Amino acid sequence: MNGTWYYVFTLVFFLFDYFILAMGLNIQYGETGILNFAYIGFVAIGAYVTGVMSLPNSAGTGQYYILGLSLPFPVNLLVGGLTASAFAVVVALIALRRLRTDYLAMVLISLSLVLYDVCNNYVPLFNGADGLYNVPEPFAGVLHLNTNSFIPFFAGVTGVIALLMWWVMSRVTRSPAGRTFRAIRDDDVVAAALGKDVFRQQLKSMIIGSFYAGIGGGLIMQFSGSFNPTAWLPGETFVVFAVILVGGVGNNIGLLVGALVVETLLVHLPAFLPAIPGHPGLIEYMDAAVIGILLMAMLWFRPQGLVSERVHKAASMGARERLNTGATLTLDEEAAALAHATGKPEA
Amino acid sequence: MKSPATIGSSGGGAFGEAALRCEGVTKAFQGVHAVNGAGFDVPRGQVTALIGPNGAGKTTLVNILSGFMTCDRGREFIGATEVTNWPSHRIARMGLMRTFQLSRELGGLTVLENLLVAAKDQAGEVLWNIFLRPGMVRRQERDNIERALDLLETYGLYRLRDARASELSGGQKKLLEISRAVMAQPNILLLDEPMAGVNPALIDRIGGYILDLKRDGVTVLMVEHNLNVVERICDHVIVLAEGRTLAEGRLSGLRENEQVVKAYLGEVIDAGTVR
Repeated sequence: MNGTWYYVFTLVFFLFDYFILAMGLNIQYGETGILNFAYIGFVAIGAYVTGVMSLPNSAGTGQYYILGLSLPFPVNLLVGGLTASAFAVVVALIALRRLRTDYLAMVLISLSLVLYDVCNNYVPLFNGADGLYNVPEPFAGVLHLNTNSFIPFFAGVTGVIALLMWWVMSRVTRSPAGRTFRAIRDDDVVAAALGKDVFRQQLKSMIIGSFYAGIGGGLIMQFSGSFNPTAWLPGETFVVFAVILVGGVGNNIGLLVGALVVETLLVHLPAFLPAIPGHPGLIEYMDAAVIGILLMAMLWFRPQGLVSERVHKAASMGARERLNTGATLTLDEEAAALAHATGKPEA
Repeated sequence: MKSPATIGSSGGGAFGEAALRCEGVTKAFQGVHAVNGAGFDVPRGQVTALIGPNGAGKTTLVNILSGFMTCDRGREFIGATEVTNWPSHRIARMGLMRTFQLSRELGGLTVLENLLVAAKDQAGEVLWNIFLRPGMVRRQERDNIERALDLLETYGLYRLRDARASELSGGQKKLLEISRAVMAQPNILLLDEPMAGVNPALIDRIGGYILDLKRDGVTVLMVEHNLNVVERICDHVIVLAEGRTLAEGRLSGLRENEQVVKAYLGEVIDAGTVR
């Protein structure tokens, strides 16, 4: 396989992987309104746990890490996703019960920093700053894949997983559960007045979203075979935010578009471009600036994102058109009534 | 005005069982008593008005009764169940629905979705059911949609069913808020100034809806300043002043009460208008 295909399939992998990550953040932020500024932390937990589930016992590997259970591929990934979900429960119990919006966001970003420092400095956990490496490639032995054929193969696997997760997510967001999430996003006080247990619903959304984060992280671990703290600087959360804000909050197709534009075209493609002579690394650094500018431009000119949120119309829910529909007070009628009232006040 | 005088009935006795009752409810904000020992019965199946001068503690009381604030002292009962300081969603599930003084629409949802959210006990809110019992979820959803559309027809919002709620006018938002609460099939409806900022034509319509709800057996407690409205649609009036129940009874009887006139009605009569 020549170099070009290697690049293409790497890009394809990141497109699908960030689609999964974007779906996870979207259900939390886009659907339920939870500003999860610690999102990348959940991704990292998924990645590390997938890694230590897959690696053999650490003795003799030259690395230090917990567990080391040599579990086969989909199992280790699932454990990674579920661990991220379990962590979400802990975080929700601490932070979500009492805090809302900006205060919650501040607590979460602090939490992300704490988690980062622990993983970066406490070596026995996930090998500290060196991170995990030499993580076995899934199916490489069984299918006799070499380094070149593994990349398109795993991009395909990720595509299948992304498709499955997209199907599940669209079922959820289109269901009454998704509607209740959006109600909480729009006004949690009203949702509570209508009998919704806001905390419970937010907890649900956190668990689902964090599972997606964990799976997305685990796939990165499996794809690259290594994962260390430079891969999940707390600022990386905002790349995922950029994906969903550019693509379109609350719209699963928009998320795929966002993943394509931000992650594939802006984050990863430039890494494959030839360096500008005399300015090594300039392109990568420009990257972050370009994403920032794009984000600002989007929020200014097209806040709904490239693909706007779907309006759930009655007909699309299977309701038949009705005739004789009773009187609707139009704006004009209301204004006329008001003018009448001010001219001759009721006594 | 130290001792609360009571006119007519002292409790729910004369009206049969109380749908909602509070006793000695007290709430202080940094030492200032917003509600100071308010207690009354809301008779079942009737329309009761909660009136009183500005600062009497009406909205605070509504917030306490609906679980959006906790009280420092006092008790609250829905029927025979004590619900003192229960969280709002549990009180809502007991069948007490409230509306807000300034309409609060779920702006990103359509008008129809605003109503659908309110439907009780939705199987589709449980994630397992979406995948394991899709038929049941679909059937229930279809019934809810039909009922919501019926309500939208009744409240004259049918044509706006697919509009985002944030695009509605003020009056339409009021109607949406009431119809959304009705969608939840309440036993008790707590309306916080349903007529505030509403034009006279719409006041008549909302008044009609409230009487329809009464006919359907819903108990209504409404905070209201417009005494014409109170006179026309309310069976029972509770006067709140300085956080206490000052008097209760029919409006005609209360007009004769010196304390009430001094505390509230006088204010209005002096101003020469009842809005």
